[in-house]
Amino acid sequence: MNIETFFNLLLAGVTLGAVYVLMAMGLTIVYGVAKVFNYAQGSFFCWGGYFAWYLIERFQWNYLISILVTIVISFFFGILFENIIILPLRRFPNWEFTVIIVTLGCALLLDNLILVLFGPLSKTLPFLMEGVITFGNFTISIHNMLMILIAMAILVTLDLFLKKTRTGMAMRAVSQDITGAKIVGLPVNRLYSYSFGIATMLSAMSAILLIPRTLLYPLVGWTTLLKAFVVIVLGGLGNIKGTIIAAIILSIVEIFTSYLIGGIWAMPIFIIIMIVILIFKPKGLFGTW
Amino acid sequence: MVRKNRQIQILILLLSLAILPVFFYTDRYIMNILILCFIWSIVAASWDLILGYANVFSFGHIAFFVIGGYSSGLLVNFLKISPWIGILVGGIIASMIGLLIGLPCLKLKGIYLAIVTFSLLFVLPTLIVWAGPGRFKNFSTGGTYGLQKILPPSLFGYTFTRSNLIPWYYLTFVFFITFLLIIYKIIHSSTGLALVALRDAEPLAKTLGINDYKYKLLIFGISSFIAGIMGALYAHYFEAISPANLGLNVFLITLVMVLFGGLGVFPGAVLGSFVITFTNELLRPLLEWRLVVLGAIVIITMILMPKGLMGIPELFSNLKYYHSQKNRWGG
Repeated sequence: MNIETFFNLLLAGVTLGAVYVLMAMGLTIVYGVAKVFNYAQGSFFCWGGYFAWYLIERFQWNYLISILVTIVISFFFGILFENIIILPLRRFPNWEFTVIIVTLGCALLLDNLILVLFGPLSKTLPFLMEGVITFGNFTISIHNMLMILIAMAILVTLDLFLKKTRTGMAMRAVSQDITGAKIVGLPVNRLYSYSFGIATMLSAMSAILLIPRTLLYPLVGWTTLLKAFVVIVLGGLGNIKGTIIAAIILSIVEIFTSYLIGGIWAMPIFIIIMIVILIFKPKGLFGTW
Repeated sequence: MVRKNRQIQILILLLSLAILPVFFYTDRYIMNILILCFIWSIVAASWDLILGYANVFSFGHIAFFVIGGYSSGLLVNFLKISPWIGILVGGIIASMIGLLIGLPCLKLKGIYLAIVTFSLLFVLPTLIVWAGPGRFKNFSTGGTYGLQKILPPSLFGYTFTRSNLIPWYYLTFVFFITFLLIIYKIIHSSTGLALVALRDAEPLAKTLGINDYKYKLLIFGISSFIAGIMGALYAHYFEAISPANLGLNVFLITLVMVLFGGLGVFPGAVLGSFVITFTNELLRPLLEWRLVVLGAIVIITMILMPKGLMGIPELFSNLKYYHSQKNRWGG
């Protein structure tokens, strides 16, 4: 492996990591605020991709408008999802377990609905922008560059939202102490649904960023979701900095494994890394919860 | 007196199951469903040992089922050993792998454990496809299409083939009764009591000196063993096993069997399996819509009857919930 290949692989790893961070952030926010571990998020990812594809290919809408419409609709879909499906479960004593099964059921429903509606053939989304930038021997496609930049912009916005706005601060309060938040009169149910809206929006965004590099097929969400699982387990549930570091490490590991011994080994190696780290640090590398 | 009545009821139920083929022996469709009921109810009951009794969120149970099936299939087809030994070894291998995974994972917190065990379902197909045709000289898992033409077991010169389902019915019935008794005995043994104590009052049970890790590991190994045996039996019954058995739908259907009957209530998982297996087969004419409908059934069941069959009396009050004003937006 020469030095150019090495840096190209490193860069590809970082761009993948940027998307995994977005997915993992969605899971973390929902788990932190609503205390739900959302197995259906992979299906939201998939639906985001298919929705954008449908607007672009079938309705022949402008690319930018379709993306924006997808993102806005996914936000409201998340809110609706929380209100119709998750909220009624909260009154049961063992709802933490029930909610896992329900989100898995939703994943089954949504994935197979895609299969019924759009068929098993894979589709693709266009790149955000075609073309490459070259520095000597070193090339990077504009799409990859935009992936990193957009993911960073989203993360910064999210951070500002959580730290500066009233809703964001209320969400952090709920995640830290639910009883206290209820006592001071925060509208917890509304905050739960906001967290779902944000997570769904994040998964739609990561679909729009990632799908052009891979393909769109009915089970595409699961691979990304599982990698996001590994990322949050390693980074520690609820630790933003840990999540980012873990995502970058894992995506670099993934890219190098794919290059050296083949793509199918990425997941087994992830799992081995995950188990080994959990033996020594049962709450992840930087875990708090 | 009550206990004796209960025993008589159970005996009558089992006897009626034993003479069912007299009425249905011409109907392969019904026979097939009943055989599947026997297999899946034991898988579900053994999963219930982990989920309901040990209170461990292990989502990898189907992985042990498939490991058992593949181990037995590979040993029987390529080493030419007897299928009976193959089934036993399938169970042993499944429980070994179960212990190996349980050893580090059972120390984790609930949600972490769920993620790690769940990921088994996605790693295993990769390994199975990788060990497909042309990879090894002596054996092959058959790749994506799975292991085909697994040799059927034979007893006293009679070979159990798919052409006649009645012997298969009684074979699976014997396995069903045996493992039902074993699971019943485990639940009422000191191990089962220790687990129930840990589930219901963890701090107290730990103060009394019950080692939770030891008991959870033990039950993890036992239930993987049972799952492995049933997986091997399943593989020999269908004469095939494939990575599709690890799919999300199989996992969810089995989980719903456990939950539908009620978590941690012994015959619950068995009853749930019978109901869900029949429902699943009745939905076959829906073709590709079947899994969509099944997903909807999962969601609606969980919202309206979170306690499974035991929750039916509360069904109407749960329905009324949707009309009540108590939990509206912003509340």
